[in-house]
Amino acid sequence: MASSVISSSPFVCKSSKVKTGMTMTEKILAKASEKSQVVPGDNIWVNVDVLMTHDVCGPGAFGIFKREFGEKAKVWDPEKIVVIPDHYIFTTDKRANRNVDIMREHCKEQNIKYFYDITDLGDFRANPDYKGVCHVALAQEGHCRPGEVLLGTDSHTCTAGAFGQFATGIGNTDAGFVLGTGKILLKRLDRIASNLFNTLNFYNRTIVFEARILNLQVPPTMRFILDGEMPSYLQAKDLILQIIGEISVAGATYKTMEFSGTTIEGLTMEERMTLCNMVVEAGGKNGVIPPDATTFNYVENRTSVPFEPVYSDGNASFVAAYRFDVSKLEPVVAKPHSPDNRALARECKDVKIDRVYIGSCTGGKTEDFMAAAKLFHASGKKVKVPTFLVPATQKVWMDVYALPVPGSGGKTCAQIFEEAGCDTPTSPSCGACLGGPADTYARLNEPQVCVSTTNRNFPGRMGHKEGQIYLASPYTAAASALTGRVTDPREFLQ
Amino acid sequence: MASSLPTLSRALPSSSTKPSSSSVPFRSPFLKINGSTSFTHSSISIASRGTSFIIPRATASAGSDSDETLAKTTFHGLCYVLKDNIDTDQIIPADKACIFPSNQQERDEIGSNALSGLPDFHTTRFVEPGEIKSKYSIIIAGENFGCGSSREHAPVCLGAAGAKAVVAETYARIFFRNSVATGEVFPLESEVRVCDECTTGDTVTIEMRDSGGLLTNHTTGKKYKLKAIGDAGPVIDAGGIFAYARKMGMIPSLA
Repeated sequence: MASSVISSSPFVCKSSKVKTGMTMTEKILAKASEKSQVVPGDNIWVNVDVLMTHDVCGPGAFGIFKREFGEKAKVWDPEKIVVIPDHYIFTTDKRANRNVDIMREHCKEQNIKYFYDITDLGDFRANPDYKGVCHVALAQEGHCRPGEVLLGTDSHTCTAGAFGQFATGIGNTDAGFVLGTGKILLKRLDRIASNLFNTLNFYNRTIVFEARILNLQVPPTMRFILDGEMPSYLQAKDLILQIIGEISVAGATYKTMEFSGTTIEGLTMEERMTLCNMVVEAGGKNGVIPPDATTFNYVENRTSVPFEPVYSDGNASFVAAYRFDVSKLEPVVAKPHSPDNRALARECKDVKIDRVYIGSCTGGKTEDFMAAAKLFHASGKKVKVPTFLVPATQKVWMDVYALPVPGSGGKTCAQIFEEAGCDTPTSPSCGACLGGPADTYARLNEPQVCVSTTNRNFPGRMGHKEGQIYLASPYTAAASALTGRVTDPREFLQ
Repeated sequence: MASSLPTLSRALPSSSTKPSSSSVPFRSPFLKINGSTSFTHSSISIASRGTSFIIPRATASAGSDSDETLAKTTFHGLCYVLKDNIDTDQIIPADKACIFPSNQQERDEIGSNALSGLPDFHTTRFVEPGEIKSKYSIIIAGENFGCGSSREHAPVCLGAAGAKAVVAETYARIFFRNSVATGEVFPLESEVRVCDECTTGDTVTIEMRDSGGLLTNHTTGKKYKLKAIGDAGPVIDAGGIFAYARKMGMIPSLA
């Protein structure tokens, strides 16, 4: 199947000392490191525009920051740190609750401007500041801007590459460093000796917290060109599962995945976010999409911060190029227990399932619920298995209850879900995508089979170690809910 | 016989300068032998599931302050063998990520849960129920070890359980960096697929040199080359990037 849609094989990039073209990612990193030119493998200090952390990794990052820079240390810029409680919120787990409390204390002490707090766990709507899933909230609150560098203590920080920026996940220790300095060393520490000394000299200088960088190694870019008209039954989730199935869960390790082509140009921002969100499932450092009118329209409605879009040069070097004719693709799933275990949805029609989950940073956005509702409405049927709906953010939740679903005569998603027999959409958070504490809503507590719009299906990901997770698009998830088996959405959409 | 023997983690002297209580060492077991610590040939008995192993203690020659900071670094102990794509949920399940290992109690707790997310077909547990430490100080795996989440709890739990090194064919990016930044475990890369030729419980020795390393499986008698750890070695050796920076006098120590 795959070979029929891929027309070019990887080619090797030319290394040259003369000034050559740069990819988008190289340009962003060159600008952020105040250099005119960078090439893959360069170890550079990068100015960080935004550092995001959440309730699971924030306490560790702030703890390391305090341990290393002193109890009275101040973060480099309280307006450039975004703290979003989202992982373990609606739980009675004492430690989970404590972690949010720790973040609240840090944010208060450090005067963090963007802290999306929740104090009333009984009703999330009583917390106007509370957002929900960080990667979706970052976009909705205007923190994602073309050309910038965004780091987050979460592997799915790569989602923001959809906005034409460099965005990647880091650990607590790196984040603790950025909190103090605003800088990151973008590199693999084992590779180049001299840079270690640069790092350490830098530590010495930045103990005064004036700068804001981290050292990174410039990643080589893999290019994915997706052309052709997107079939009505296909979604961005199908595209990224197709690609990960092609290159494997380690196929882009240390690399950038740049997506372009006519299909990409036609995608909405939320669909582009789905695509970039799962770059890390192929091992990628970051994903990126050239910004265009769709991007500018989304961003300018949410922030007044100026930004500078950049684009890959015509003579930029890519380590690999893949070309897909999207019009020929079919809905796919990732079978247990790996995101690259790809199969056509229709090939799995005999797989009986126990439940369906629609949610997360990958598949819990407004358009994901609109798609599921559209399919339910088109079918006129009721779900055969428990179907759990977890809007990513408070804004998504409101959309589910307020926006009319096109072609439904003005019904909202929530109305259609109720008619279809789904569980009532619950409070926004990361929910059961990553299992979470035992009392997490919709957690997979039994060894069941679940079709899910989330991003990972490793053993135990949603709770039970023997649970089986089929990753799928919202269309495929909704179709599967109606039949109780993994189902190609064309059964209901055509 | 075996039950009366001390567990390895408490039997060995500490070569670390970190404070440790006698009952619960902060970072243990101390299978790693630093160049600055001189040992003579000796052997240690390890209690293990009703049987005992006689482990020839790795011989470390007396340390001289040579340029090769890793020249004498040796790990010795039992290995725990895994295959490909061991993700962070298997290393430390997400519900255990609530643990914030800033104190000894929670560090022990996260260590006791290391690799507890492995499916049940892994019949041998990395850490026995009720224990804090693993008897395996070296983890051997295949490709893409540590894929998935960016949670730093992953290398931290392995270090807290007493693991000193992971030997894998390849690593996921964030896990590798987190291992170095925290100094919890050495993420070593093998040149060949060692995980197919080792069995959990085999006795292995890792000798690290700046030019590369050597893994010897004493149970099978086979030896394997390891790729050079490079600059990351001294960083991990010091206990992470901040500790290394202080050790080198690059940043002042906190009062």
